[in-house]
Amino acid sequence: MAVSLLSCLASRAPAPVFAAIGPGWQAAVERLLARTGLRGALTPRDAGILLVAGEMPDNTAEALNRVHDQLPRPRAILRWTRSHETVDDIAARIGASWRNLGAIDEQDLLPDQPPNEWKCVGPHGQGGKGMMGGTPYGRPMAMTGEDIRDGLQLDRYTARIGPFAPMLPPGLVLEVTLQGDVIVAATVQHQPFAQPADVDAPELCAARMLRLLGLGGPARRAVRGGRPGGLWVRGAVPRGLGMIEGAGDARDRLAAFLRGDSPVVAAFDLPGLLPGLEWSEAMLVLASVPPSAVLRAASLPEDA
Amino acid sequence: MTAVLLALAVLATLMLGAVLAVAMDRRIAQLAAGLARQRIETEAPDRLNRNLAPVWYFALAAAGLSVVPFAPGLALLDSPVGIVIWGACEALTIVAVFLHGWSPNAPFPLIGAYRYVAIGLPVMLPSMFVLIAAALPAQSLSLLAIVESQREMWNVTRQPLGLPLFTIVVLTLTLRGPMDFADAADIATGTSAEESGAARVVWEVARAAMLVSASAIAATVFLGGPLGPVLPGPAWLWIKTAALMAIFTWLGHRVARTTPSRMLTILWVILLPLSFVHLAIAGVIAL
Repeated sequence: MAVSLLSCLASRAPAPVFAAIGPGWQAAVERLLARTGLRGALTPRDAGILLVAGEMPDNTAEALNRVHDQLPRPRAILRWTRSHETVDDIAARIGASWRNLGAIDEQDLLPDQPPNEWKCVGPHGQGGKGMMGGTPYGRPMAMTGEDIRDGLQLDRYTARIGPFAPMLPPGLVLEVTLQGDVIVAATVQHQPFAQPADVDAPELCAARMLRLLGLGGPARRAVRGGRPGGLWVRGAVPRGLGMIEGAGDARDRLAAFLRGDSPVVAAFDLPGLLPGLEWSEAMLVLASVPPSAVLRAASLPEDA
Repeated sequence: MTAVLLALAVLATLMLGAVLAVAMDRRIAQLAAGLARQRIETEAPDRLNRNLAPVWYFALAAAGLSVVPFAPGLALLDSPVGIVIWGACEALTIVAVFLHGWSPNAPFPLIGAYRYVAIGLPVMLPSMFVLIAAALPAQSLSLLAIVESQREMWNVTRQPLGLPLFTIVVLTLTLRGPMDFADAADIATGTSAEESGAARVVWEVARAAMLVSASAIAATVFLGGPLGPVLPGPAWLWIKTAALMAIFTWLGHRVARTTPSRMLTILWVILLPLSFVHLAIAGVIAL
């Protein structure tokens, strides 16, 4: 009886979807995930459905397979690549897959082994100095370096994040060096995917910032065209954060999005904007810039 | 016999309260669905602490609730230092959440864990000042005595800053809304980023249990706990606890979360001195 009660309850749960968004599909997916009955998962571990929206470039295949294998089983992968398939159609397909997940369950796409072999380098085998640094099994380890704030020697950890990280624009791969959660260096390894103009819609831009501010409900309401609500929304964004000439700071841009305006953001140096910011600040800054402007900034040559 | 009944009351309050907390979040169906899903291990986790973190979290919620009086003069743990026991539960919650982020051995959970420690410390200090201020009129650290001291006037009116300051503590202990720096969206749900299936559900249930416990403490310290007309003591405690849970849940969904560094500034520069002033005023009045 308890099992049937649980099954009954579980069948009413919104379908947890992790979206891997390709070129041209960001706005459509963001509008889709604001619908009742669907829930955008912030990590593949919390999802049951992997939605692959759009035609993925070949160089993202391995990353996509890795995301797929991170979903707990039973799981299903759905592809949304046909422009004639409406939001209603794909929502219905997701709902049907979620209800029949046990019958669909998909196997891993990658072998269950480290991406690189152990490299026996240095006194402890991992490379680096002493017991720090190096890249055992292809995974970079932290190594001490000068803190950019006060000159102390603190651990630096370098990682590549993207192209399907939900807090970054789809396609963007950043190689960041972190001390704690302070970014000390950042380079763009892969540009964000090009998106149609609709992706700069104020309500979608506002919703991206609201999600980072912990306001999932107001973000959904904003996407649906309603008044988002929420307390201390503008005030939560620190004054002066992500100042861009001609477009104000992140708080100004959020205020503009909430008013229904789309601020014009001139070219800016994306990798140069991030060092010195904490990770959460950097994500807010990126979300505060319309995706078309992020794409232009990420496309600038290194010496621009 | 009374001790057995009180132990059952604590357990029932914790379990039913946790269900109520999840219902207030409208996540019952979501958690039920999670139970049927696979739990994935990361590549080299600290397995012992990964399994123990939610157990610690739930146990601390239970230990905290054990000092709460269910009727005037009647608590499972009738301690002369009940406030100190609750304070220890608060402090150890930081350890439990840290272990939850530490044990998967992955970057985002670890960032969430360190963030929580950084935020947790300055939150615990105002908490102690606020709770000691509430103990001053009772001239005792016992929660039974604190309840008795509110027969004429609840602390929420005698010390109006107390409950708003303690609200920040509750939101921090339960990883909610403006104080949820451990499991934030920018780090893909932080300490929970690598959790799936039943393990994720167990963590959420422990988090809900902590909301029950912290709300019951707030109801006891600021709203007179089991004191009230007509209805029996436990009924008043449950009503007040449920009302506070609803308020904390609403605030968690409605108030925006600022950046960790800005929140640290707010905590150290504004809230900590404010809580000290609150304690000083309470001390002068109690003289």
